[in-house]
Amino acid sequence: MDLTPTPEDLAFRNQVRRWLGANVPAHELKTLDERKAWHRKLYEAGYVGMLWPRELGGWGASPMQQAIVQDEMARVDAPPAINGLGIGFIGPTIIVHGTDWQKQRYLKKMLTAEEIWCQLYSEPNAGSDLASLKTRAEDQGDHFVVNGQKIWTSSGPIADWGILLARTDPKAPKHKGISCLLLNMRQPGVEVRPLRQITGSSLFSEVFMTNARADRRDLIGRLNQGWEIAQTTLGFERGSNSLGRVTRYAIAFNQLVRAAKELRRDGRPLIEDPRVRAKLGKIYAELEVQRYAGLRVLSALNRGESPGAASSITKLSYTEFEKRYYELALEILGPWGQLVTAREEFEEIDTSSGEPGTWATAFLWSRAGTIYSGSSEIQKNIIGERVLGLPKEVRADRLKA
Amino acid sequence: MNFAFSSDQQLLKNSARAFLDEHMTPATVRLLWDDPRGESETLWKEMGELGWLGLSLPEAHGGSGLGMVETAILLEEMGRAAVPGPYLPTVLAARAIEESGTDGQRKRWLSAIATGDARATLAFLDADLDWRPEATQARAEKRATGWTLSGTKRFVPWAHVADVLLVPARTPDGLTLFLVDPGAAGLTLEPAQVMDGATRLVTVTLEGTPVAGDAVLGAPGQAGPLLASLLRRGAVGAAAEMLGAARRCLDMAVGYAKVREQFGQPIGSFQAIRHKCAEMLLEVENSHSAVYYAAWALDAKAEDAELAPSVAKAYVGDAARRVCGEAIQVHGGIGFTWEYDLHLYFKRAKALEAMYGDADHHRELIVRRVAA
Repeated sequence: MDLTPTPEDLAFRNQVRRWLGANVPAHELKTLDERKAWHRKLYEAGYVGMLWPRELGGWGASPMQQAIVQDEMARVDAPPAINGLGIGFIGPTIIVHGTDWQKQRYLKKMLTAEEIWCQLYSEPNAGSDLASLKTRAEDQGDHFVVNGQKIWTSSGPIADWGILLARTDPKAPKHKGISCLLLNMRQPGVEVRPLRQITGSSLFSEVFMTNARADRRDLIGRLNQGWEIAQTTLGFERGSNSLGRVTRYAIAFNQLVRAAKELRRDGRPLIEDPRVRAKLGKIYAELEVQRYAGLRVLSALNRGESPGAASSITKLSYTEFEKRYYELALEILGPWGQLVTAREEFEEIDTSSGEPGTWATAFLWSRAGTIYSGSSEIQKNIIGERVLGLPKEVRADRLKA
Repeated sequence: MNFAFSSDQQLLKNSARAFLDEHMTPATVRLLWDDPRGESETLWKEMGELGWLGLSLPEAHGGSGLGMVETAILLEEMGRAAVPGPYLPTVLAARAIEESGTDGQRKRWLSAIATGDARATLAFLDADLDWRPEATQARAEKRATGWTLSGTKRFVPWAHVADVLLVPARTPDGLTLFLVDPGAAGLTLEPAQVMDGATRLVTVTLEGTPVAGDAVLGAPGQAGPLLASLLRRGAVGAAAEMLGAARRCLDMAVGYAKVREQFGQPIGSFQAIRHKCAEMLLEVENSHSAVYYAAWALDAKAEDAELAPSVAKAYVGDAARRVCGEAIQVHGGIGFTWEYDLHLYFKRAKALEAMYGDADHHRELIVRRVAA
């Protein structure tokens, strides 16, 4: 066991730091075009698609190097790359299960954010029970006709393509009749309606498909292999490295400490209140444990190990921590924490949702993490069954299957 | 960067597990609970022969020159077996003697500790139970030859079997550490029975206890930093033991949930039980990360080496208590019986929670560092 960075890692970190110092935009990126331009710059510097193989347009870098880039970007509050779902999860799924044609057609444009991707999995009546999804894709030989509704689709309004789960065999048991297709979002049969979240913003949307068309060449894997393929995507999504996220938490913590020194309650600065100190200590201890755990996962990835079902532990850990963090932060800040417009520097933080905001916004956002990408309850089922080997529960749908 | 154990470290862990599975069964632990000394002298000698007692001592003194990571590996296994005995206090005292002792002091104690011929402990807490070295109340007065010590040290682990006590006391020069013979005049030992039968805590009363001039460990008045450093090691060591106890309880709970049937099914198939087990695993794995990160940080003298032990003690103290408690809950009534072994580990974790600073104490240390 040795957590000392290698000289190569240190040199790489310095190189990234210098590059970011010279290139991070001085102004907030407002339009999609500005964000795409910044993304393109990051890609050309080798900081997007780092883990992808070189022959597919990636950089063949190590998980350690990727973590260094995420960490350094968080430190200087650099605007994130876009197309995260595509590059992090959908692209890797195409790399594992896609045809050569699909790889040639889609991957490079995904990396450069020339085409933005979204994920069409959840439905109004298929949330945790994703396999009960109802959207249908009828096989017409050279293409499929898609009808149905998806929900909680991030980047829906800006997406050019979506990875879709749809039922192709209604008679088969529910896990066995689903296929995975790539769907062109820019067609008349696809309608995207933004959904407003409890934060007031609209990062999700509903997607309605009415006789939409998906070409047969855009079928990923075999017909009715979709459930298995979806597990790959979700595995990538849950197992991704959390170190950049922890760095953002730590930066927010420093702002919280600053606020606790400047704001007063009960006739003294917050920081002098032992109850506040106990809460700050609790947040920081947990935050550090998230960092250590992130290093442990990174070290396993770097050895070429795949975390598999254990990635559910990581996801459960940081999303539940995030809720406790912002709950404690708002207890500390009292009414100050409820402000939705920031007047002081310490009142606005990176909410790790992709949009900056106040502590109130971050607090609200923290309710999302334990729901998306498989709720905490689903993660605990996975951990119980696949990591601890506990017996499967008797479920009505399994009895039928 | 590698968080995994090296093959040597894994070997140490495996051999410790195998040895303790054979020699420290729950039945043996129960016998020692009822033993007046509370520890096994045979086991202690064997631990010396295995190299465990000198693990982190220099080779010149019969040690192996290994670090806190290896010590934590052993302590985790000892926590897993709820081994009774003064391993952690002895290792801490040995570290202090090695770091600050004179040649004479090192010769006198280190080899004897490494072979299992001597035990030692740190008599740290005064009557008002403050883990800050600067709050020490015991006093030492200079005499024509040597010193006399006065004060009351509370909850001193294993003082009744120790061959030497490390006693911090105030002197006109400042905080000073003394090596004290537990048989010295004016020194009384009063062992107390505690909830965990594998833990022995002793009240040490010093009433004008004479100690020789060469009994000062390190420079007079300079003991503060040494004590703070020992407490950090103690915190990581205790966290490692708690981790072992928690992992044992988790394993027992999961094993039980697979075979115990109610309503015609194994209880582990119910989400109420399965989710509890998943939460326990999460806390055990995070505790592993916290313990070994902190141990590595101490060995590597990392920039957060003074912070990480507090993080580990604060986190693992809470986590181990919850995990061991939930293991009882998963078992139901059987887990609450004296005959079932869960309480050996539950009580061990609870006893360690208060040692070397509890979670509240370490959270305050963290805030002093990060919000100064």
